[in-house]
Amino acid sequence: MIRAENVTKIFGSDPESAIPLLEENKTKDEIRELTGQTVGVNKASFDIQQGEVFAIMGLSGCGKSTLIRCINRIIDPTAGHIFFKHPERGEVDITQLDEEALRTLRKQNMSMVFQHFALLPHRTVLSNVGYGMEIQGRGRRDRQKAAQRVLDMVGLGPWGSSYPSELSGGMQQRVGLARGLATDAEVLLMDEPFSALDPLIKVDMQQELTRIQRELHRTILFITHDLDEAMRIGDHIAIMEDGKIVQIGSPEQILVNPRTEYVAKFVEHADPTGVITASTIALPLDSDKFVSGGERDGISYLHRQDLPNVRYGMDREGRLHDVQLDGQDVPVRRLEEVLEDESARPASSERTGLALTCGEDAVLRHILRSRLHSTLPVVVTNGDGRIRGLIDDPELINGILEKRGHIP
Amino acid sequence: MPNPPPARYRRWHAVPIIQQNWGSNRMGELVEFLRVLMTDPFGFIDLPVRQVITDIVNWIVATFRDFSRTYISPPVRGVMNGVQWGLSSVPPGAFILATFVLGWWAASWRVGVFSVIAFALIGFMGVWDQMIITLSLVVTAVFFCVLIGLPLGILSSRSDRFYGFMRPVLDIMQTTPPFVYLVPAVMLFSIGNVPGLIATIVFAMPPVIRLTNLGIRHVNPEFIEAAVAFGSTKRQILWKVQFPLAMPTIMAGLNQTIMLALSMVVIAAIIGAGGLGLEVYAGLERLNIGQAFVGGIGIVLLAMVLDRITQGLGEKAPGVRDRGE
Repeated sequence: MIRAENVTKIFGSDPESAIPLLEENKTKDEIRELTGQTVGVNKASFDIQQGEVFAIMGLSGCGKSTLIRCINRIIDPTAGHIFFKHPERGEVDITQLDEEALRTLRKQNMSMVFQHFALLPHRTVLSNVGYGMEIQGRGRRDRQKAAQRVLDMVGLGPWGSSYPSELSGGMQQRVGLARGLATDAEVLLMDEPFSALDPLIKVDMQQELTRIQRELHRTILFITHDLDEAMRIGDHIAIMEDGKIVQIGSPEQILVNPRTEYVAKFVEHADPTGVITASTIALPLDSDKFVSGGERDGISYLHRQDLPNVRYGMDREGRLHDVQLDGQDVPVRRLEEVLEDESARPASSERTGLALTCGEDAVLRHILRSRLHSTLPVVVTNGDGRIRGLIDDPELINGILEKRGHIP
Repeated sequence: MPNPPPARYRRWHAVPIIQQNWGSNRMGELVEFLRVLMTDPFGFIDLPVRQVITDIVNWIVATFRDFSRTYISPPVRGVMNGVQWGLSSVPPGAFILATFVLGWWAASWRVGVFSVIAFALIGFMGVWDQMIITLSLVVTAVFFCVLIGLPLGILSSRSDRFYGFMRPVLDIMQTTPPFVYLVPAVMLFSIGNVPGLIATIVFAMPPVIRLTNLGIRHVNPEFIEAAVAFGSTKRQILWKVQFPLAMPTIMAGLNQTIMLALSMVVIAAIIGAGGLGLEVYAGLERLNIGQAFVGGIGIVLLAMVLDRITQGLGEKAPGVRDRGE
């Protein structure tokens, strides 16, 4: 949907002078020393898929706010290209657009949500939400109806005739979000939208955004300085340091394989339980810690080296057939089923009498909780039911403490 | 071999003289030069400012007198007559009631009551008709100040170069003693209410320009960024964002303009403008202190009412909500 190629922004009297130095991989400080120019964004490249939330994470001053403003050219990038897949006109290079085309793009295809809300104080909430549509030239009636619908969606239906100053911070940002959504733009740029909110309200808003996004499938570029927020919201995360994108990946990839020390330092304090998935931490089937236990009636059995009394049978396709504890069949259930039925938590003596299976994308948090129902290793299966690996206590502990796994 | 004087002294225009005589009686020449420089430095140059300005004004008057009397006087006089006719055709009782409602609506019931008292006093002192004239002069002057000043203010806010040009002009307009431009006003427009009005418009306009400019420039850039992000044109930004948000500041400018207009309208009595100012002026001329004071009190009362009401309007302006945050 949006593809950035070496987007660079240099502030100063002679930005061009710094470009060759960037090519030589000089740092921000060296360039300031040599030319007096300040590097805002240093050759940022990324690719945002349609319908995903792409989070850019970095500390203040790392250039993330500059970068997001380059996308809709509130700030003109010094170099680089930004390609946008226009729904009608195919791929356009935003950096090459003239004033008029740029305004049309902002009107129809890209809207924005701001850190400090930037709601117009002299307009009512409804009229603020309708601002973008007003610029689009839509009629008053139509605009009010559409604005009311979006306002209902963010849960502020009855507040349309209030003024922004009468609303709390969280409510104001809901209005900001509604204004951004109301124009039906394909792309929503969000510049630290929840940073100015109280922690509790912030979590509310994150859930609200996730809910709305499930419904609307917009393409969202989300700026934040909070890694946990990025992990909760982002399908992909780009981490920025000193104007440079140092790593791009899924939350899990970043958590498990931080590419630089800087990223590692961030990740150290992140909460892994909602991010790391079963496939990452499972002991894979091809590991040498599995011992084959013979074959019977076309079912081959194997067990873990450290747990010889639990045997797993699988058919020729590699699908789980049965689980045996000390030679006795034990019932097998899906992890999701068990978790839904929270009240039926068994006594601890019964916890050995049940085996659980989970999908590859089950998150650590759910697997941990399942230990209340079953102490046997969790069997990880893929979509066709083939066994991928096992998760027992060592894998869980490694996953939480070391945030380490066998990720490709 | 005498050394030439060091380079940094060459700026002196006397240096060539010294250089010519260098070597002969050089010490004496130098001492004489320094003595003159210290005791009578202004003898070197005679700036003919007085003559130049007289020439300029004479040229302006000769060139523009016909133009100003055919094209500027009539609209100004027309608006003034219209306003005056409108105001004087309202019966005083209804007028006072209207000011009460206006004061109440714009500010508070206190201001309403105060307006009633003030206008009643003016009436009881027997200067109602003069007050109406003064009020119509002020309204007319303010009307033209806004008509001309607002666009200039907006232009100043959008172009640094234009504001750079406007600033000295505004300084001159505001700091030149009001008496000084009564004279060219008379020369261009003869005597009476119109030249008084012209002088008043020139004198009272700067605050509208300055504060419109200031108000628009001080609109929080966040709001402008938001407007840009949604694809607004410059004109849309101006009318939908900057102007409404600058409204409180512009209203403060309007308030100042009204006050300046009121003070100038009084001075303009010297060149034949009527109203309360004429009352003051005539009273002073005849050493009728009582009459002069009645006019003066009337002006003060009128000024206070206008001030309270326009301040109230300023606080009602939409952009004020910004400050509530």
